[in-house]
Amino acid sequence: MTALLKRVPELTLLILVTILAYTIMAAFSQMSGTETLTPMVAWAIVIGSFVLSTIIAIVAVLGGVGGGVIFTPVMLGFTSIDTLLVRSTGLVVAMFSGLVSSGPFMRKGLADIRIVFYCAIPIIIGAMAGSQVAIELSENMGETGDAIVRLLLGGILVFIALMFILGGANTEYPKPKKIDKLSKKLKLKSGYWEESLGKTVHYHATRAGLGSILFLIVGFTGGFFGLGGGWAVVPVLNLVMTVPLKVSAASSGVLLAIGNAAAIWPYFMKGALIAVFAAPWMIGQVIGGILGAHILAKVKASFVRNMLIALLILTSLKLIVRGVEGLLGIDIPLL
Amino acid sequence: MKEQNHKINHEDDRPVVPIAGIVYGDIIYWGTITATFIVIAGSVMTFVTDNNYIDPSYLLSSIWEGRTVEQIWTDAVGAQPNGHWYLSQLFTGNGLMAGGIALGVFSVIPGILGAAFMLFKEKQFLFGSLAVIAAVIIMTAIVG
Repeated sequence: MTALLKRVPELTLLILVTILAYTIMAAFSQMSGTETLTPMVAWAIVIGSFVLSTIIAIVAVLGGVGGGVIFTPVMLGFTSIDTLLVRSTGLVVAMFSGLVSSGPFMRKGLADIRIVFYCAIPIIIGAMAGSQVAIELSENMGETGDAIVRLLLGGILVFIALMFILGGANTEYPKPKKIDKLSKKLKLKSGYWEESLGKTVHYHATRAGLGSILFLIVGFTGGFFGLGGGWAVVPVLNLVMTVPLKVSAASSGVLLAIGNAAAIWPYFMKGALIAVFAAPWMIGQVIGGILGAHILAKVKASFVRNMLIALLILTSLKLIVRGVEGLLGIDIPLL
Repeated sequence: MKEQNHKINHEDDRPVVPIAGIVYGDIIYWGTITATFIVIAGSVMTFVTDNNYIDPSYLLSSIWEGRTVEQIWTDAVGAQPNGHWYLSQLFTGNGLMAGGIALGVFSVIPGILGAAFMLFKEKQFLFGSLAVIAAVIIMTAIVG
């Protein structure tokens, strides 16, 4: 950790400035209390959000899923914050670790710029459509819409967890059985230095056509649910297009940043992104994102996968329960 | 498409990293870090001054109470915004924070265009064009 802070002075500066800022905010707060929150509790929420966000960013970057996959379901499952607000902040959480980790990933050659731009167009179009539909649904369907969102998201999380489970350990360095014509034409092949093996791993992506169709769907669900879409970018790159897991994870972060950069603006312009709530999450994502990007090259990919599966299953349970409660008007005593 | 971007450097068997990727990553990296410092400054301004577009205590309480976005805005300023409201509020705590976040998101555009320039320079016209299309779509989203 000390070596990393010396090697990345901007990270050290960011951490120091953040600590100083939060100290000043606690000591000289001019905020007036309300019935719900005292100034101290408001500060505690901000600092708690920042710390949680930093942890989520590290896990998200290691898993290549984007923090939205963790943030959005947890907030929708365990708090009563408006779903539109959670989803817009979820996009901030999903994209900023991806944005800031783009630098280290590209310099290390872990993220593949050609794969990123090939997959970016369908993701962007899908994400923009998804966020527009989310805003429409929120404006027209109220609490029923919220319950449907929770239920659908719970179902999607179960699906994602199953994909990670069924993918198994063979997905770290997948070998394509056949390279299709389009993938050959696009020459989506490259190599990266695998630090944990001490050698270069070569790969050739395949099923480029199917991949782009799936990315359109991934973009839509990412924009709609505020997940960011990273949950499915890694499986599509890794399981469908046979890109090594580490390159998939790194490229996913970069792709997420591009896709969400389009999806976030409709939320922004409608005031659904409230800065005082989103800011500590954004700062945590940036600091955690840099930390995660420097750790990724050294960790075993399977460790991250197992951690994510457990979290996804737990959160999906809670979301499904809350969705059913909202739709049927019943109370299920679980979690 | 040039194969040389991916040829192996035999001295240490490490692949050469494409320059377009480095340009893209560096622009976004520094753009995001700059944006983060602005958001931190905005956060301090929000908490330690009363120069805010909307009272932060009201905002945080309303969010925590589960009020909808529409209710929060309507009760605070009369109506939900429809556009880049923060641009006219950059000297307030809320506006500076929102502006910082927007700047971070916006950094994707110069990043993509920088990478596109390098891809064209390397005669990778297909991927360069895809990058430009991506930038145009995102700019369309920004304009609304």
